[in-house]
Amino acid sequence: MEVKKDILWRVSLCFLGIVALSLFIIGKAFYIQQVQGEYWKSMSDSLHLSYRTLDADRGTIYSEDGSMLSTSIPFFDIHIDFMADGLREKEGKRFTTNLDSLSIGLSKLFQDQSAAAYKKQLQAGYKKKDRYYLLKKKVSFDQYQALRTLPLVRQGRNKSGFIVEDMEKRLTPFGLLANRTIGLARTYVDNNRQVVTQNVGLEKTYDSLLKGVSGKRLVRRISGGAYVPVEGSEIEPENGKDIVTTLDVNIQDITQTALMRMMTDNQALEGTAIVMEVATGKIKAIANLGLMPDGSYFEKDNYALKTSEPGSTIKLVTLMSVLEDKYVTLNDMIDIDGGVWMLNGRRIQDAEKSPKSHLTIKESFEHSSNVAMAKLAYTYYSKSPAKFVQHYENLHLTSRTGVDLKEEFRPMVKNPKRKDWHMQTLPSMGFGYEVMLSPLQILMIYNAVANNGKLMKPYLVNKVEKDGNVLTAFEPQVLNEKICAEQTLHQLQECLAAVCVDGTAKRVFKTAVYHAAGKTGTAKVNDGNFKYTDGVYQSSFAGYFPVEKPKYSCIVVIKNKPRSAQYLGGSVAAPVFREIADKLYAGDIEDMPVYIAKTATDSIKYKWSGYSSDTKNILKEMNIPFIDSAAKEEWGYVYNDNNTPGIKALAVNENQVPDVKGMGLKDALFLLENMNLKVQVKGKGKIINQSLAAGQTIGKGQTIMLELD
Amino acid sequence: MQALLNKTKGDKVIWAAVILLTLVSMLVVYSSTGTLAYRLSKSAESYLFKQFAFTAVGLLIIYFAHRINYTIYSRVALVLYVISIPLLIYTLFFGAEINEGTRWIKLPIINLTFQTSDLAKLALFMYLSRQLSRSQDDIKDFKKGFLPLIVPVGITCMLIAPANLSTALLIGATSIMLMFIGRVSVKHIAMVVGIALIPLVILVTIATGYYNKEEGQSKELPAVLQIGRIPTWIKRIQDFAYSDKHESAYQVQQMKIAIAKGGWFGLGPGNSEQRNFVPHPYSDSIYSIIIEEYGLIGGIAIVFIYLLFLFRSIRIFKKCPFAFGAFLALALSFTLVIQALVNMAVNVNLFPVTGVPLPLVSMGGSSFLFTCLAIGILLSVARNAEKMEGNAATAVNA
Repeated sequence: MEVKKDILWRVSLCFLGIVALSLFIIGKAFYIQQVQGEYWKSMSDSLHLSYRTLDADRGTIYSEDGSMLSTSIPFFDIHIDFMADGLREKEGKRFTTNLDSLSIGLSKLFQDQSAAAYKKQLQAGYKKKDRYYLLKKKVSFDQYQALRTLPLVRQGRNKSGFIVEDMEKRLTPFGLLANRTIGLARTYVDNNRQVVTQNVGLEKTYDSLLKGVSGKRLVRRISGGAYVPVEGSEIEPENGKDIVTTLDVNIQDITQTALMRMMTDNQALEGTAIVMEVATGKIKAIANLGLMPDGSYFEKDNYALKTSEPGSTIKLVTLMSVLEDKYVTLNDMIDIDGGVWMLNGRRIQDAEKSPKSHLTIKESFEHSSNVAMAKLAYTYYSKSPAKFVQHYENLHLTSRTGVDLKEEFRPMVKNPKRKDWHMQTLPSMGFGYEVMLSPLQILMIYNAVANNGKLMKPYLVNKVEKDGNVLTAFEPQVLNEKICAEQTLHQLQECLAAVCVDGTAKRVFKTAVYHAAGKTGTAKVNDGNFKYTDGVYQSSFAGYFPVEKPKYSCIVVIKNKPRSAQYLGGSVAAPVFREIADKLYAGDIEDMPVYIAKTATDSIKYKWSGYSSDTKNILKEMNIPFIDSAAKEEWGYVYNDNNTPGIKALAVNENQVPDVKGMGLKDALFLLENMNLKVQVKGKGKIINQSLAAGQTIGKGQTIMLELD
Repeated sequence: MQALLNKTKGDKVIWAAVILLTLVSMLVVYSSTGTLAYRLSKSAESYLFKQFAFTAVGLLIIYFAHRINYTIYSRVALVLYVISIPLLIYTLFFGAEINEGTRWIKLPIINLTFQTSDLAKLALFMYLSRQLSRSQDDIKDFKKGFLPLIVPVGITCMLIAPANLSTALLIGATSIMLMFIGRVSVKHIAMVVGIALIPLVILVTIATGYYNKEEGQSKELPAVLQIGRIPTWIKRIQDFAYSDKHESAYQVQQMKIAIAKGGWFGLGPGNSEQRNFVPHPYSDSIYSIIIEEYGLIGGIAIVFIYLLFLFRSIRIFKKCPFAFGAFLALALSFTLVIQALVNMAVNVNLFPVTGVPLPLVSMGGSSFLFTCLAIGILLSVARNAEKMEGNAATAVNA
């Protein structure tokens, strides 16, 4: 029993040791919990809880006619976690068995690499144990949907390792159209790793409305790297609101096309064209083109909002001032000194030499005499220049128009009380120098003249909508009910119309089927890049149409390349105006005053062609007897058969150009287009000429020009 | 049923402790395997059923083992030990790799992986009990007493150490304690401890040396130290020593968070939050999850159950008339409780992180079944002791 006792105390000692260790353990647990507890708990929160931003969908910008001008579409970046549990388990069995079919699927889906290339790529990533392997960027929604059905991918994130991150991309479906005005909304990471949001145009002005309010969600990390929302902590994002602009896609297209054509032909540096609805001040189109280094044109900057010395278009204000203040009447004569006037050592010269040495005020405006306008301003306002500047103020030219774009420049109209007002200022202002105005401001004034003196504030946004419900509607705003007396207004309108009939824009509008009014401008550019002596001219034309019932006003301003062959407002800017006006007039014919086309008088020897049965029906209806020799031929012509109309068959053969002379356009179009010809039409009335001779064999996709009178 | 109960003998308190622990086990395992089940796309209950099955099998093992006369174990002890050596060697070179250490072999027919160290441990302790009981007369003698004890311990530990250093240390420490209890010369024991400490001290020195305190990061290890599991050991010691700052001490931090969250009374069964973050919440880290769900009170109760178990086992030792049975009871109970305490000590960051499960509580597996076998043997000893007592009492009464 001695042995047993010896053992017993040893056992007891060991037991006590165990008890002591137990107490240590409990003590340590107590210490962790009660002393360090807060530290560990807070660490837990920071490790497992995090706030996620829930991005709101950005609103869409619509045109007035409901086309999407700028909208957001989702796209996806695809990464692969090659260390995903499911992918790696059983020595990567899932990866190897799916590799081939996946590679083929990816190759088929994206069509950018062969299946073998994809396989190689995937294997390399797998070997490198890449946890964030970039497979493909900017995958579209459709592609993403298809991707999810591919082998392996369809097994879900945990097994396939595929990580999908969704992004939002801003898309302008109409590309270049009014791009600068609609604006950009882009976010990128700059060199300092800062997230920069760069917006311009309407995207910037209405950013707060468009972007919506992002939501927030508290998420808790759970197993497998997944996150689950903590209940009740979610703040739903509020999606952005939609903006309906005043822009019209068709007018914008017409405007841009016209501007682009002239710019390209003339290799101009930059240009802008704005179309405004006379009655409301709505901007229907605003095109801005700038020359890119590669020779193409792009909506580089919003030139419509940038100020420059306007040149002759501002003579309208000079004329208005002297008429309104009753210093002159339109028929007063003025000596233009042969087009050159020396004033205190400065030479003021007309851009185009005028035909006479003495002109009426109206004529001097029509021919855009700088001398005349400088003289008018100088003669009548030297004593009280403030009175002259007051007219600018009445026309709201001394401050921004307040259009919905933040990029608008502040105009510069000198104040006579300031030091920078010197003795040349007044005559210079008379013909458009020493004053900085934007094309939009000039247009605003012309629009007021067209609108019977009512000065409208230009605007770009009709309404703000959310889910189709109107939140805010913007009404036209009147800045000045009457910019001048009725009599002055009529005189101004008369002068503007005269410019297009007898003045500097005479040639441009000679063939127009409607009447336009406007003013040309040719200004030497001195803008920091160029000096007056560089020979850079800014050509402009501002006006409205139709004169009888003005519907649209429009301004075109183009800055030409140095020493351009074409630089006059009448030959560079006015044709663009004409093209825009032509198309708007044609497209909007119901709203426009009707002009009766001059038709050639009928002669005894006539020959009118057309659809035989129609012709016969008409003659029968009108009880006119006729001789029918066309029998059952589809096409025929009517001719004078001994003072009785006779109808003969018209030869229409397959693949041969028919004789459509004497036909109406309706019949001719039907006939020719059915023969797969492209038809271009000029003039109105009946066809008098056709560019492809009758009987000629028709080539594929050939164009035929028809002249009508 | 009554018959079965009547046949169930041995210490009732130990039976109760075992059943209590397996019940706790089922609760905690069910709660903490959610993550694993989710990751492997299994139903949440699948691990509960598995654990239930293990428990049932385990209890059967206990029952049958305790019905066997423990003296048989004395006879098979040597054989079992001899078998365990080649098994360990085989495991070391050809075993399945789980969590980086090769500790497992797959049984060919029933397709069950088992940790050979569990078998080796049981075999070793049976052998030690037998040897201690036999050589009590010459126990202070180096050749006759000490060497036959220390050589098998040394072999087993060295074979286990490369793959599973902590288990080897645990077995070594328990063996030395048993030798101390078995009256082996303290001089000899001190010598063994001294020798064993040398590599450990070297390891600790390296671990602290290759740690940058300012940056809170491990330094790059030279190629010599990149062999086998050496980097793991170094990392674990670093994690242990610098757990507050060290970035990679993830497991230690998460276990502490679990303990902190539990408070006095816990978050309640099934409400653990940390089970999603703590690695191995159903085995190595189970004690921290118990505290999280059942509070410090629950944690103390678990400690108490193990202590009670040990206390009752010592009672068996006292009652057992035969030296082998007495030593066997001590060996098996001490090793079980020490293992439990090591697991808990790891959870409260008293010891570096090791892969030691909490006996009877951690999710099943071969170690659970071996633990049950050990308890069965223990109860067999108790049963025999009771019977002897009963016989003696009957004899007196008669």
